[in-house]
Amino acid sequence: MNPILEGLSALAEPTAILCFLIGLGLGLLVGVFPGITISMAVALATSFTLTLEPAQGLAMLLAIYVSAQYGDRIPSILVNTPGTPAAVATTLDGYPMARKGQAGLALSISAIATTVGILMSMLVLVFLAQPIAAFALRFGPFEMFALVCFGLTVIISIASNSLAKGIFAGLLGIALAIMGLDPITGDARFAFGQAELTGGFNFIALIIGLFGITEVLDQILTHHEHKIRPISSLGRWWPTKGELKRVARPMAQSGGLGVLIGVIPAAGGDIAGLVGWNRAKAISKHPEEFGKGSIEGLAGSDTASSSTLGGAVTTTLSLGIPGDSVMAIMLGSMIIWGIQPGPSLFERRPDIIVTIVAIMLFATIASTIVSLLRTKGMTKLLDLQPQWIWGIILVFCLVGTYATTNNVLTAVQMLLFGLVGLLLRRVGIPAGPVVLGFLLGPLAEANLRRAMLIGEPIEFLTNRPIATVLLALAIGSLFWPIISKRLKNRAARRAPTAV
Amino acid sequence: MKRRTLIATVAAAALALGACSGGTGEEGGDSEFPTKDITLIVQAAAGGGSDLSSRALATALEPILGVSIVVENRPGASGSTAMLHVKDQPADGYTIGFGPVEIAMLGSMNYDVHPSDYDMLGQIMLGPGVLSVPADSPYNTLEEFVAAAQDKEMTVANSGAGSIWELAGASLADETGAQIKPVPFDGGAPAVAAVLGGQVDAAASGVNEVKQNLADGKLKVLAIFHSERHPEIPDVPTAAEQGYDIEIGGWGGIYAPKGLPEDVHETLESAIAEAVEQDSYQEIITGSGNLVVYRDSAEFTEFAESEAERFAGLLEG
Repeated sequence: MNPILEGLSALAEPTAILCFLIGLGLGLLVGVFPGITISMAVALATSFTLTLEPAQGLAMLLAIYVSAQYGDRIPSILVNTPGTPAAVATTLDGYPMARKGQAGLALSISAIATTVGILMSMLVLVFLAQPIAAFALRFGPFEMFALVCFGLTVIISIASNSLAKGIFAGLLGIALAIMGLDPITGDARFAFGQAELTGGFNFIALIIGLFGITEVLDQILTHHEHKIRPISSLGRWWPTKGELKRVARPMAQSGGLGVLIGVIPAAGGDIAGLVGWNRAKAISKHPEEFGKGSIEGLAGSDTASSSTLGGAVTTTLSLGIPGDSVMAIMLGSMIIWGIQPGPSLFERRPDIIVTIVAIMLFATIASTIVSLLRTKGMTKLLDLQPQWIWGIILVFCLVGTYATTNNVLTAVQMLLFGLVGLLLRRVGIPAGPVVLGFLLGPLAEANLRRAMLIGEPIEFLTNRPIATVLLALAIGSLFWPIISKRLKNRAARRAPTAV
Repeated sequence: MKRRTLIATVAAAALALGACSGGTGEEGGDSEFPTKDITLIVQAAAGGGSDLSSRALATALEPILGVSIVVENRPGASGSTAMLHVKDQPADGYTIGFGPVEIAMLGSMNYDVHPSDYDMLGQIMLGPGVLSVPADSPYNTLEEFVAAAQDKEMTVANSGAGSIWELAGASLADETGAQIKPVPFDGGAPAVAAVLGGQVDAAASGVNEVKQNLADGKLKVLAIFHSERHPEIPDVPTAAEQGYDIEIGGWGGIYAPKGLPEDVHETLESAIAEAVEQDSYQEIITGSGNLVVYRDSAEFTEFAESEAERFAGLLEG
């Protein structure tokens, strides 16, 4: 039988369809709850799907994976609380849009961007799997370090208001991440002899604390002074032709970057979203709107974070190396089902590839439709009394964060980070760079030290071309704001009438 | 999952009520064990290898013991969070834990975790280690690799600092005098990826991480550190066959707070022995590249103790 028909027919039976629908529903729900990550949902579903046929199990797991990409943006946009780490960048422009009364428009643009991102990345999976996978293998410790350095320069763009405060926030994030186990020697750092502290700070607790809890505390403390509740009743939720045109370029470029980042193992949607947002800002004609509710920024971040999907799946299937934490879990299931991912999978089991691509396509289409349909209902939520919203967010944040470790201390950490976040907000220090530093600092450290175990520092310049280019880009983007200012000034001096 | 837990909770509550009204009191240790659901603490997050093995065993144990086994993930601090938690629970058999090989390692890494602090109920699996090299590596046997490593320090990727695969490299160095520079990665798959990409000279990992890439000729596996060959990669010779007496692997077993009542201990021990025989359990364990290796409570206690001693030597050496 033809592998395309075979792959599709495996899905055309009631159990597979039911599994798909359950996965879709779960995914759309899971993303919305802050703290409940996609990997957690997929891991729990795995214990159930292992007993099913591969096509049925994949239908559920992949549907969760895809549709959760749509859910996690919603709390980012509506209440400044990322549903999953991948939606951190969504808060940068999504929430300001909601505060301007454009919650509906933000949700629609986010859904469209997510769809574009996933579809772009699927093209890579279908047509370029093998060469892309070979590219991923070239990312050793040297290249990863250079990439992470490039990622860290995003701090400069997030901190456009005050560079000093932004850099301080980034360093704070890096410092927080130093606690825990040394990545190379395994020694505990700043644990003060307490086993509980050797794990370092919990990433989910940090994100939810700095965004969700801080937001709730801030609103509770300031709601007497001014009405900060976004006005949801403003009707227009579908972007105009002009707006669609404006977001096309950032979507294409940030999406392309996201695809590449997705391919690299250990780099996922959280990093891609921030880098994609940065890219959108770099190419925008209105960079000054970024961080204040730019549709280009929102489109850039969400296309990039979702376009890591196809790359992650590609690496997993064609190398047998998980492209992200969700794929690591799915890889385990696939092996037990007897689908051994690896270089020869595409020749051995083309039917499975067809099944996977089909599930992801169907899930994308279905999620897009549901997301656009529910936009109105979601924005209605903001019409609730603020007390209710605060209560609901607090409960979700607490439950979700507790669930990551089943340990009360994690929830306590989250609340403390909420207070820290409030303090930072009062003195005008942005939370984004803290998260970025916390995420990238340890990656930079571990990879630099690995690189130094494997080779010599000079190799960054001599025989690691990818690393050299990435480091050059990092240095370039660090100094670009200064250089471009100089250039503008000079141009202004030469042709004073033209500017 | 949710529903099962709910039913289990309701059932447990009903049983507890029944027990109270019946006035049997809380003598515990009656031969009626178990009368309520048992919690199996896993030291890793849902979705990993330990979680998978634990859930497979829990599923097999349920019909044998006639109660629900609730798997609870308590990740953190290299697994010590879960192990210290279990240590603090009452020794009544209603809280047990999945103990991976780390339970014999953490004591040498400044954690207050030692196999002797627990009742070791039985070993349930073993994932033997392998040494792999890039496909274009000049070394084709363990002997060639070891010989070359006498003059040149070899970079050997492993799944993380303080992991069993780091010890596999240390063990190889200890046994053969090879110069090994461990390069810890964040997980077994990235370590093997470093071999595939030619970033390191070799990687120590489990069978699962190399199986398919070996079949596709993308890397070479020089040896498996186990007493016999592995059914999934039958062409790979053991280290012993090549003249090196090295056996090391990521094993896993079930442990409980120290001092279980004798009958509870026996009930659990024989239930575990029966569970590892179940097809459903064996399929999942072998499917994930591991071996079903069973040791009863006495053997497992002795084994874990001897492993702890061996690892202490390697970790300090």
